[in-house]
Amino acid sequence: MEASNRADDFIPAGLASLGIEADEIELAVIGAAHGMFWPAILELLELDTEGAGPMLAADLSRPPASA
Amino acid sequence: MSALDLSLRAQAAAIAAGEADAAELLEETLERIGQRNPALNAVVETFPERSGEMLAAAPDGPLRGVPVVIKDEWPLPWRAQRFGAAEMLAPSAPSESGPYRALREAGAVIVGVGNMHELGAGSTGNVSVYGPAANPWDTERCPGGSSSGPAAAVSARMVAGAVGADGIGSIRFPAAYCGLTGLKPTFGRAAMAGHHLAEVSTTIVSGPLCADAADARLLASALFREPLAAGEGRGLRIGIVRDTVTDDVAPAVRDACEEAIRALAEETGGELVEVELADVEPAALATVLIANTEGLTGLSPQRLNDLDPELSPLARGLLKYRMLLPAAASVKAYSVRTLMRRRVAAAFDGVDVIAWPTVPAVAPPLQAPLVELPSGTLTADAANVRGAGLANLTGIPSVSVPVGLSEGLPIGLQLQAAWGKDELLLDAAEALERANGRRWVDSLPPLARAAETTEA
Repeated sequence: MEASNRADDFIPAGLASLGIEADEIELAVIGAAHGMFWPAILELLELDTEGAGPMLAADLSRPPASA
Repeated sequence: MSALDLSLRAQAAAIAAGEADAAELLEETLERIGQRNPALNAVVETFPERSGEMLAAAPDGPLRGVPVVIKDEWPLPWRAQRFGAAEMLAPSAPSESGPYRALREAGAVIVGVGNMHELGAGSTGNVSVYGPAANPWDTERCPGGSSSGPAAAVSARMVAGAVGADGIGSIRFPAAYCGLTGLKPTFGRAAMAGHHLAEVSTTIVSGPLCADAADARLLASALFREPLAAGEGRGLRIGIVRDTVTDDVAPAVRDACEEAIRALAEETGGELVEVELADVEPAALATVLIANTEGLTGLSPQRLNDLDPELSPLARGLLKYRMLLPAAASVKAYSVRTLMRRRVAAAFDGVDVIAWPTVPAVAPPLQAPLVELPSGTLTADAANVRGAGLANLTGIPSVSVPVGLSEGLPIGLQLQAAWGKDELLLDAAEALERANGRRWVDSLPPLARAAETTEA
């Protein structure tokens, strides 16, 4: 199935599934954010990060140990 | 000339030498805030009695008696932070934050709290529970965010130094928009205790906003609790990246930054080196995802349904949208961090600093924070995050330095260095000041120039 950034179904359904209420203005904000972020998120998910695991405890004050 | 118009270091030296009276300086500072702040809304609260107490108890430190402003992101013993918001979604109470303690130990006097973009979630500073802060260079323009008030206060010379915080560019954006030197330190190097996200955030640091690099070095030394030695930055190898972050930039900003980079190389007897650094833009998104995920602490559907109606609709919508972001993307963001840390480390094998524009366009209007770029019209937030996220994602230090004006508004160049090389960044910033004859760091915004004339 092709990826989509269509917000019409996803946003109301997503919020409803979590029990989160949103007024019209908030829905407009969420729709705009979704339109901006979603395509980039889909691209990010496809980015090749093989061999670069999510090191949650990395010491960010120093270079990576392997460098 | 009033001592208040001296640099941060000159104020400290004058007080230490007995040539300036710290009590008079405090009084003059509060008076100037009263005069200049109404046009800017940079300082949201002063507390003369508390400031006087700090002065009376000030130890003989490197900043003894010097007035500074601190961002509304840090609690003080007499005041809880509000994070620029009607509701900050985390417990807050008066306390001794790390930056407060560091300033107190250095002898500094906190004279006021600086405005900030609501919840730290914007690069413009035009949304806040206190109302928008304005840019001293043009009060119809954004001062930058989220450390909007600290930057505007220093730019208008209400104080010579201020402490901000930078989770995704929040010191560097306002430094660029307001014509200041703003340092985002290496992760973990500057005082952070007491921040409501200190235990979970892997992107936020405290840091200085000052007129020039020598002042930023002095204030950073206080925040680091160690003196930052000055060098000459000779033979600087300056990395240049060809990417959206350097290409999709307003022509005047690109020209000023390129000229500054050439001047920096000449001044230091250094060289320009093309650097391969792929995926800077996805790295920025990864930073946003990580920061948003870490900021989810304490959120629940019920909590989101009970948000304070005084929160802006933008904040309410974006908070709720966070709950819809896929977990896989957040995990991927951490993999991108691993990848980019390796790439950045490899890049710094061949160069000392990497340079590109701090923001791709000058400060946009407060009423419509949009920027015109070669690729089209973008929100300032979308455009600004591109060049800022890498430092927060990887942990490296970064500084924004003023390098020009366009439309009467400041242009900022960002320099980034390897982990722990904060001193080198400040050396490079000082070399750049020498190269351009301090033209930009000594420039005053119209509001401060006009006020000087009126107050004389």
